[in-house]
Amino acid sequence: MNGFRILALGAATLAVGLALAQPPGGQQAASPAADPVPTTRVPQSYAPELVAAGSTIFAAQCGFCHGRDARGGAGGADLARSELVAEDVRGDRIGEVVRSGRTDAGMPAFPGLAASDLNAIVAFIHDQTRLAQSEEGGRQSVDVADILSGDAERGRAYFEDNCTSCHSAEGDLAGVAGRFQGLRLLQRMLYPQPGAGPNAARTQSTVAVSLRDGRTVSGTLVFRDEFALALRDAEGRYRSFATSEIEFEIDNPLAAHIEQLSRYTDEDMHDVVTYLHTLR
Amino acid sequence: MRNLRTPIFAAGMMIAAQATAQPDAGGFDPARIIEGAVDSWPTYHGDYSGQRHTELAEITPDNVHTLTLVWTFPTNQNQSIKASPIVADGILYLTTPDNLWALDARTGRQVWQYRYPENDGFHIGHRGAAIWGNSVFLTTPDAQLLALDTRDGRVQWQVEIADAARGYWSTNAPLVIRDHVIVGVSGDFDNLPGILKSFDPATGELQWTFYSTPPAGTPDSISGGATGGQMWMTGTYDPELDLLYVGTGNPTPVLNGVARPGDNLWTCSIVALRPDTGELVWGFQVSPHDTHDWDAAEVPVLVDAEFEGRERRLLLQASRNGYFVVLDRESGENLLTRPFARVNWAEGIAADGRPIPDPDKEPARDGRLVSPDEAGGTNYRSPGFDPATGLLLVSAADAFGLYFYKPEHGAYGWAGASPGVYSRGHLRAIDYRTGEIRWSHELHGGPGTAGVLTTATGVAFTGDSASSAMALRTSDGATLWHSRIGRVGNSPISFELDGRQFVVLGGGSALYAFALPRKLVEQDSVSRD
Repeated sequence: MNGFRILALGAATLAVGLALAQPPGGQQAASPAADPVPTTRVPQSYAPELVAAGSTIFAAQCGFCHGRDARGGAGGADLARSELVAEDVRGDRIGEVVRSGRTDAGMPAFPGLAASDLNAIVAFIHDQTRLAQSEEGGRQSVDVADILSGDAERGRAYFEDNCTSCHSAEGDLAGVAGRFQGLRLLQRMLYPQPGAGPNAARTQSTVAVSLRDGRTVSGTLVFRDEFALALRDAEGRYRSFATSEIEFEIDNPLAAHIEQLSRYTDEDMHDVVTYLHTLR
Repeated sequence: MRNLRTPIFAAGMMIAAQATAQPDAGGFDPARIIEGAVDSWPTYHGDYSGQRHTELAEITPDNVHTLTLVWTFPTNQNQSIKASPIVADGILYLTTPDNLWALDARTGRQVWQYRYPENDGFHIGHRGAAIWGNSVFLTTPDAQLLALDTRDGRVQWQVEIADAARGYWSTNAPLVIRDHVIVGVSGDFDNLPGILKSFDPATGELQWTFYSTPPAGTPDSISGGATGGQMWMTGTYDPELDLLYVGTGNPTPVLNGVARPGDNLWTCSIVALRPDTGELVWGFQVSPHDTHDWDAAEVPVLVDAEFEGRERRLLLQASRNGYFVVLDRESGENLLTRPFARVNWAEGIAADGRPIPDPDKEPARDGRLVSPDEAGGTNYRSPGFDPATGLLLVSAADAFGLYFYKPEHGAYGWAGASPGVYSRGHLRAIDYRTGEIRWSHELHGGPGTAGVLTTATGVAFTGDSASSAMALRTSDGATLWHSRIGRVGNSPISFELDGRQFVVLGGGSALYAFALPRKLVEQDSVSRD
């Protein structure tokens, strides 16, 4: 009645069987270069004392999710592989995320963090990135080649059957493998975070609101919970409504991605991402 | 300033044969927990059952929409309040990492604050305090246990629960049973034995240690090379059976299951222990050989009710792995196992009631798409049980996550990667008799962060995934009231003062106390003439 079910998987692919059969520390597939650590745009260096101070604060406040070494922990990103960190100059990007949080992604806000503590954290993160750029692999690394266990031809067929009402290999996805690789491409394929990335506008929900007097308002959905809804209309005006006072219809362009999550087998998923990697 | 008394006993199982310590006169007597006074909320759960249910009946479905704010207490901390406060003798004790506040429960006014010295333990959250006599107990990010004087916050004693330098920390709200203060720790980033300890509340002397995963070199280890199984959440207790029930954490290394073949007992389990000795009476493993970080630390809820025509002592748990289980809490026998959130990681349910993990959903080099995600089908915030309807109200998530493991990730700590993909939160009402979902209330966002309190009048207090505290009708989940106090990050509590029922919840980093409005004078007769 609630649609619960245990997915009965078909036979595992040959690739899956091989991966599981690998003994720990035994023979491994030739591992190509690790997912490249993004190069820091503006080289920065920080005083060792500041980095050391940042290490302590980071471990206590951030370490659970991001790892004591900023290389990934329980749920939080490996910051040494973060595009945002790579673009950061002395906290101009990191500071905003720390102060405001990313509540949809589970990152809490630290509005009260002292500026000196924030500077120390920024110094520590950049120092860890510097270290990461000089090493391969990593404790939680996912290499590009790890993901590409599927069959590109099968992936193409799956794509054409399931994805082409919104996407096209020659259109929006032309060259996608040049923009994203490996885990990042897989994550975007499964569920692109709404309002993020180069196609931000395409991933945002829109909403059409009908007022009691018969007027209608529509725009980009800004906020919605059980009690209120807010949008930005075509003129850029922010408007909010009590949900009890309106009728509304939300069009979520990512709805198909959400539905697809329940339908993918692991084999499908690897086939499609392997196919997308051919779109260079 | 500190009066430290180092325990003289080495860790290990031992019988607590010392004379039973009694709390000082005038302090809080733990016998009151069993008596169940409505003017207090003396344990993490309010009582020993873990039902998070109040018999108070002033607030009803008809009047809850008139709730008004009585007081607010801002902690001014970076993180949201995750702790469930405790209340005894008009004082409310609230914790965040390194902090304990004693507040006047009538006014929210601070009576005293204790601040633990700066330390580099994980400051990810704190669950709450415990009380015994004139002592209130606080665990710390560097895995210490402190007894503070309830009158002024002075440190009475401080002992080490576990070695923080090895990677232990503690967020635990201790559980007091008679003359035992029982505390657990966390430690997923290192391969550490799972430990639960009991201390003498009067002195801090160690009474016993229970290992969910016996340390290396222990004879007859049943853990199959696994470490972990940390008991980081507060257990529940049946005074008649004299059994303490605790949920144990996931094994370590977390995502690498190759390094630890077998079931990895007693990780991801519910264990029943003797509170005087720490002796294991029975265990039930909710997730055999877990490779997804799905601990079974969620509250083991104790219910005496009919099951399949028989009056039974039951234990209910909505577990992080997405399955709801019903056990006979005398024997540990499984009576029911059924999913309450989206799951795709099990091949079926074994005859003994344990889900059978699907090897194809173990973390792999190329990644596996798994439901639920690493945060789980639910997490540690308390469910609320309603005896009248037989519903267990649980914050549930239908979620998808990716799980990676390859030998290069090693066999220490996390040992793999587990990014989330997509998750939606719902409050679900599970019928304990069948595991059926009677209703599901969307939380409008990702996984919920609020626990649930049920009341004798059929009201359930919780929070949504946006920014509201809410009151729902327990029978059907209809919304009766909400207040935009910020996202609720803890489990609500209720108590009565001056004949008035209070409901207290955290909204962001502040604590809010609500009650029904009171007329201060006979308002009809005021004014005009």
